[in-house]
Amino acid sequence: MRQPSAGEALASALSAEYAAIYAYGRIGVRLNGAARDAARQAEAAHRRRRDALVVQLTTAGGVVPPDRAGYALPFPVTDRASALRLAAEVEERTAAHWRAALVSTTGADRDQALAALVDYAVRATRWRKTAGLTPLTVPFPGRPT
Amino acid sequence: MVLTWPVGIGRTTQRDQSSGHSRRKLLSTGALLVLGGAVTPLTGCDLFDRDDQPAPPPDPLRPMVDESLALAAAYRASATAHPELADRLNPIAETHTTHATELARVIGVTLPSAASAAPTTAPAADPNGARAALRALEKTAQQSATAACAAAPAERAALLGSIVAARATHQEALK
Repeated sequence: MRQPSAGEALASALSAEYAAIYAYGRIGVRLNGAARDAARQAEAAHRRRRDALVVQLTTAGGVVPPDRAGYALPFPVTDRASALRLAAEVEERTAAHWRAALVSTTGADRDQALAALVDYAVRATRWRKTAGLTPLTVPFPGRPT
Repeated sequence: MVLTWPVGIGRTTQRDQSSGHSRRKLLSTGALLVLGGAVTPLTGCDLFDRDDQPAPPPDPLRPMVDESLALAAAYRASATAHPELADRLNPIAETHTTHATELARVIGVTLPSAASAAPTTAPAADPNGARAALRALEKTAQQSATAACAAAPAERAALLGSIVAARATHQEALK
């Protein structure tokens, strides 16, 4: 299989960020208190990376994938428990896209991908803690299982 | 006996001359030259032993194997000292051993025995102090893995990225 170019890997990360932002729209309304604040902060982190990627890909003259009106969620969000589970899942999936981008990038682009992988892996652990899920951590964050 | 040989025709020729053997003669003695295979230093071999044999540079990831084993040992020592933390600490110790195993596989070395990675300092007497000490170890280890990931070739970048992220999540799990 051909290794994707840096532009392709970052475009894939951008698509993942779109989906994460969409998912947090569904997650936030099922949470309250500290968990809702954490969801807002997480969503803001995904929006910041989305905006940065759009600028970066546009500047580089690469393909900027369009956002979609909706994304299929892996399971329905009906209550607090399912919202927390989805939040953990969203972070793990987004982390996986940034992990894949490590392979295609070097220098500052790789640093950027690593920072995103670490940020989302840590957020996933926080969500698992809030949800009471175990284990709190996985051996290889972002690695496809 | 099978001798593996560093690839490098020029050096091989020079070696043959200096030891007074033609290549044909060497082959006829039963030495098997494996070209293009794994490069292993010839140690303790009287036929070709030479003091100026340059050791191959150590793999840059080699220290990370030891680092992972030392982290695993530190967690196990703290779990033994504070059994009430064992449920949280033992899975993380296993993760570090898993990292060491995977790193050793990637760089092609045998995993050193865990006994060689005994922690140098005893765990803190109170559980909170022990957790804080492990967090500090993870933070330092995260920084060294970050440097390794930045410098790594593409085929190692994803593994190292996951190890960086794992060390960050451990700090979170210890809070």
